[in-house]
Amino acid sequence: MSTSTLKYSLETSDALLKEVMDRSGQNLMSCYQCRRCAAGCPVGEESGVTPDRLVRMVLLGEKENALNNLLIWKCVACYTCGTRCPNSIQTSRINETLKQMAKERHIEPNIPRVASFHSSFVKSIAHFGRSNELEFMALYEIENFKKGGLTAVKEDIKNTSKLGRAMLTKKRMHFKLDRTKGKSEIKGLFNKAAKKRGVKG
Amino acid sequence: MKIAYYPGCSLHASSKLYDIQSKSVLGKIGIELSEIEDWNCCGATSASKTDDFLAIALAARNLGIADATGFSEMMIPCSSCYSRTLVSQKALAGDPALKSEINAELAKKVEGRIKISNILEVLLSRQCDIKEKAVKKLTGLKPACYYGCLLTRFPSDMPVSDSVENPAAMEGLLKSLGAEPLDWGYKTDCCGASAAVNDMDMALKLMSKIFKDAAARGANCFVTTCPMCQLNVDAYQEEVREKYGTANNLPVYFITELIGISMGMGAEEMQIERHFTDALGLLKELKLI
Repeated sequence: MSTSTLKYSLETSDALLKEVMDRSGQNLMSCYQCRRCAAGCPVGEESGVTPDRLVRMVLLGEKENALNNLLIWKCVACYTCGTRCPNSIQTSRINETLKQMAKERHIEPNIPRVASFHSSFVKSIAHFGRSNELEFMALYEIENFKKGGLTAVKEDIKNTSKLGRAMLTKKRMHFKLDRTKGKSEIKGLFNKAAKKRGVKG
Repeated sequence: MKIAYYPGCSLHASSKLYDIQSKSVLGKIGIELSEIEDWNCCGATSASKTDDFLAIALAARNLGIADATGFSEMMIPCSSCYSRTLVSQKALAGDPALKSEINAELAKKVEGRIKISNILEVLLSRQCDIKEKAVKKLTGLKPACYYGCLLTRFPSDMPVSDSVENPAAMEGLLKSLGAEPLDWGYKTDCCGASAAVNDMDMALKLMSKIFKDAAARGANCFVTTCPMCQLNVDAYQEEVREKYGTANNLPVYFITELIGISMGMGAEEMQIERHFTDALGLLKELKLI
């Protein structure tokens, strides 16, 4: 994708802008491109896109670029952009919205492992009410395997098993399964979330 | 004095030592932590990255349980749990429809009454007691106080008790105990958080900047309140050194460990041996243990 050739599209801009503003709760129209967010973004350089560019893409109706770029997946949710914005735009919220919209539209994430990580984490909460590191890591690697086969998990397993060994030695590995007794409440909340997503999607 | 306590998943697992230290150090200054019953995961950043409703609702269940305890305050040591719980409480206060929608699913309803505090706020409120109990000066300790992201920056407007970009509460507290905290530039920069697992090169790069600056300023250790920051900065020093040639290993202490040491608590009692990067050597060298 290219960020230097932003085009204004009358057909797409209104619908995209409205959806992003409604769902993120952020007033993108107040952005005057001062780029303080860009200066503070720790992952902008590697992403090739900075938060201000993301806002601009949405404003101009560059739907494909807005839903398909490295920044939305590399964002570490440090909230520096939103803290520094003179107009109180929380770009990380825009980011979260775009990630969700990309998923609803079945757009392949630019970094599949980031998507797998977060969906596996939430899945592990659905299972036990609490996140159990071992169970969660297993879910995460299964997801990676499903998406990218052995090559996708090889590097990961090398890295995580190194951490795993250190955690074992330092007695920081937890084997007992922690769970919340109020399973029906957790299930109720997850059901409601699914229902809401259904309405939106 | 008794207050409610939400440990969160990591203080029950990989950062169990922080749970133990929080209880014993605060106990020593007369604060008893009462863990709320049957809490669930706050959703962390993963819920907010995948589902707007769950991002508020998961933490809301804990808020309902906390409100029902009758305590006026709940302490949350983990920065991510603290942030998500505070954001949920504020979102529900401003959206009665969402609040009743979520409350309909909960056995214990959110009232929005309980005050949410991070561990630094609780420690600061008892700074006099800490100084009174201190038996050892933290002489020779030159920590780079590392706040990370989520203690002072939020995804929505939130009143913050310290400076957002240049907080100084940890420095003040440790200075009063005889340590010499350093002025440095990366105290609120991101360690990469979950990127250490899912986008490792990115996380290592972010950590390399943190390590370089701390070393250049002459720090001999880090100190933090966040279990995620602690784990990353503690566990990945070797990888960062290999890739970026950063300097020697620096121990990464939880704030509770340094306060505990100054109050005469033992390293064993606080389980300081459970760090990835040796954290006992420096304390021995400085004759603090």
